[in-house]
Amino acid sequence: MDYNKLNIDDTAEFNDWCIGCGNFGILRAVELTLHDLKLDYHNTVMVSGIGCSGKLPHFLNVKIDGVHTLHGRSLAFASGIKLSNPNMNVIIDAGDGDTFGIGVGHFVSAGRRNMKMTLITHNNGVYGLTKGQASPTLNRGEKTKSLPKPNINDPINPVALALVSGYTFVARSFAYDTQLTVSILKEAIAHKGIALVDILQPCPTYNDINTIDYYKNRIYKLDIDYKVKNNNEKVEKMMQAITKAYEAEKIPIGIFYQNELVPDYNNRIKEDIPNYLDYYPAIQELSINNKSTVDVIQILQKHRIV
Amino acid sequence: MIGGVQGIGIDTAAVIFGDSVAKAGYYLYGSREYYSTIKGRHSYTTVKISDAPSSSINNNVEILIATDAETIFQHFTKVKDFIVYDKNFENVELNGIRSMENEIALSAYNILSKNNLGLTCRDAIEYAKKKGVKAIGIDYNNILQSIINKLNIPSPLTERAKTMIGVGASFKLLGLSFDLLSSTISSRFKNDTIAKLNTLAAKSGYDSTDSFYNLKVLDVSSHRIEIDGNTASAIGKMLGGLKFQSYYPITPASDESTYIEANQNLVLNTSSGSKTGGIVVYQTEDELAAINAAIGSALTGARSATATSGPGFSLMAEGISWAGMNEVPVVITYYLRGAPSTGLPTRSGQSDLMFALNVGHGEFPRIVIASSNHYEIINDAITALNLAEKYQTPVIHLIEKSIANAYAVLDENKINANNIIIDRGLFTNNADESYRRFKINEDGISARVPLGSAAMFYSGDEHNEYGHIDETSSNRLKIYEKRNKKLELAAKEIEKKYKIYVSGDKNAEYAIITWGSVVGPSIECIDMLKKEGINIQVVQIKMFSPYPSKEVSEILKNKKRIIAVENNYNAQGAEVMQLNTGIKATDFILKWTGRAIAGDELFDALVDILKNNKNKIVLDDEF
Repeated sequence: MDYNKLNIDDTAEFNDWCIGCGNFGILRAVELTLHDLKLDYHNTVMVSGIGCSGKLPHFLNVKIDGVHTLHGRSLAFASGIKLSNPNMNVIIDAGDGDTFGIGVGHFVSAGRRNMKMTLITHNNGVYGLTKGQASPTLNRGEKTKSLPKPNINDPINPVALALVSGYTFVARSFAYDTQLTVSILKEAIAHKGIALVDILQPCPTYNDINTIDYYKNRIYKLDIDYKVKNNNEKVEKMMQAITKAYEAEKIPIGIFYQNELVPDYNNRIKEDIPNYLDYYPAIQELSINNKSTVDVIQILQKHRIV
Repeated sequence: MIGGVQGIGIDTAAVIFGDSVAKAGYYLYGSREYYSTIKGRHSYTTVKISDAPSSSINNNVEILIATDAETIFQHFTKVKDFIVYDKNFENVELNGIRSMENEIALSAYNILSKNNLGLTCRDAIEYAKKKGVKAIGIDYNNILQSIINKLNIPSPLTERAKTMIGVGASFKLLGLSFDLLSSTISSRFKNDTIAKLNTLAAKSGYDSTDSFYNLKVLDVSSHRIEIDGNTASAIGKMLGGLKFQSYYPITPASDESTYIEANQNLVLNTSSGSKTGGIVVYQTEDELAAINAAIGSALTGARSATATSGPGFSLMAEGISWAGMNEVPVVITYYLRGAPSTGLPTRSGQSDLMFALNVGHGEFPRIVIASSNHYEIINDAITALNLAEKYQTPVIHLIEKSIANAYAVLDENKINANNIIIDRGLFTNNADESYRRFKINEDGISARVPLGSAAMFYSGDEHNEYGHIDETSSNRLKIYEKRNKKLELAAKEIEKKYKIYVSGDKNAEYAIITWGSVVGPSIECIDMLKKEGINIQVVQIKMFSPYPSKEVSEILKNKKRIIAVENNYNAQGAEVMQLNTGIKATDFILKWTGRAIAGDELFDALVDILKNNKNKIVLDDEF
């Protein structure tokens, strides 16, 4: 994995994240993953939300398509892309506020659909761009440095919420463990369904509790049999993953759960549109010499009365 | 008019009646009114039959088919010729009807007591009779019982066939042959027993009266279809190459999306032969997801749209702003219902025009089209998809509930469906290494390629030609102007016929300025007013953005009086006219009850304005 071998894009943006930001580790892991899997704009689109994490696609040194969307809505944009062009790999970068605050409805609904996409959540416990308010993943009672009072909300556990929402690949990583993150991302992108990769990430500017040292002292590599091999063990494997997800003294990172027995959404649509995967909306021929290709009579004759 | 308790098949009955009349060569326009509930409250459909196309109804009806007592109490003052009703309801008292809203009961009470009548259904019918209405009382229970005995079926099955008795009777009044009705019934109901049951019910009604109107069967030269406005929009989108439709369930928009889904596999005549092209219909978790998924889909090159009404459109505002910023062709079909808030969710209105024109924070081009009838809905849906791609910006297509839920008979050859032009503007699949999505050029429109064909960025942040975030003044100056001047180009390029439609004598001294559902009744008033010695022209605004300022100024420059007629409080269409042209309406006819403006009430109001020199009339659906 030689970083210098990457095709440097001279149109890439100046990276304005804070020094020491966990995003750098995630950016590097994404770049290495794209490079190793030979993913670029021909086959992959990076979708992001709003916040520090949302800028990630702009900062990539790989020639990529980037769609920097709205706060909380990246999954919605991504689903539209994936539905009209199922051939595209869709990778989403979103923050914890993005995903579990303003966009939590989309997060839960995405689990019900199981579209083949990869969601990377940048989980740092704070809203960085707005100067450090508590995000939905910050523990109750914690007072990070710019909070006027300790946080009085209980946290969402992203891994557990993903599991009960129907995510079929659920993993957690640490922003500074690039090697682990790359290996998880490769599995997630290959996964036949929706994948959550929740990445614990220090915010050196606003989160003085969940620091690098905080995580380094607590994290350990998860080693469980996470794969559902038949439907009978689905609930058991989910329960195992949820139990692990709530461990707090020591924080496990790795893959918690995978189930490829659930049909993905594009294949569900194929049930209704038999040639969907070969002739999807993005490539259908609209017109010949500016004339619509739609056979009109088929539509009108259903309503004929005379 | 046919009325009854919601859920017993009023709508089906009206469609069967309409289809049968249409088979005899007549046009019809049928408007539905119903409560925001599934079952149990009063709903009714008004069907207007004519030998020329019409897009309006009248408040006063020739025939009232009442399947329950409430229908009689709600409408007995508005009947001109016949009331067809169930004899068993004669003794029902006004105050015994719990489902009726107090205000309506009180109005009925006032009329009845003023005329020294009692408070039963029989009294209401008596009132109508004194005004010359003929009452046709039929013993519905008796008819249904004999059908139950004949077919040996359980009695609950027959409940929904009640409506057919009245349909049969009024069909006889028209003087049309029973075959027309029975053939419609048999094609409507696939289950044999149900078809038989409904045919028998209709026949009993048919045999219980004599013919009155003596309608002749007319010659029909081309195929005709019967659809409602939701279906018209769906058909227009499908003809126009729609490939992706997202939606969240909401009245009165959802029917459009479910129609597309039910008919999603279309035959396409492609350059490599006949192929099936599937339209993806995506039911989302909310309208935020609906608009943003449609935008995402549009980035792949698929023609994409969503459909909603007021509350959903409010949620879409942020997404529409993103689409404006990122020059995304996306169509939002915006069904107008009674607002603000949940408002009158199953009723109509024109109160969201200003919102549609200004939706989303910031300045960016929004093209806004308003349809006035079913033909226009089909054509405008196609135009919307074309303009969205041509000018790479959101297009909002306004359709009022009153049209969306109205049935109409259309001539196939007028739809011009075999000659549908697809204009994708600067869309291409080819881009070279130097591609810039937002390349600045003279007219503001850059070549657009789908995701996957070049490295490109989109961002809701202000961006440079590449789509990367750029906050410099020099960039902002250029790229902001690039986006906004597309509307100036659109104003210049879009043909007049898409923007404005004028009817009546151009030398008329008076003009009506209006839009949407009000256009139909307005045009029908032209000839009626001529008989009163009044010469009036009707100016319909079809496109509110870009606004046909030059055309409106030219038409209205020598008018003595300009009457704004709208289904809202503020005459928003007139406000937009003033904003764009400086011309003010002189008089106003306004209605915000949630019901469409009817032809007869508009005529009366116009006469009142022009003969009695009033300046403003508020229409009230007065009992």
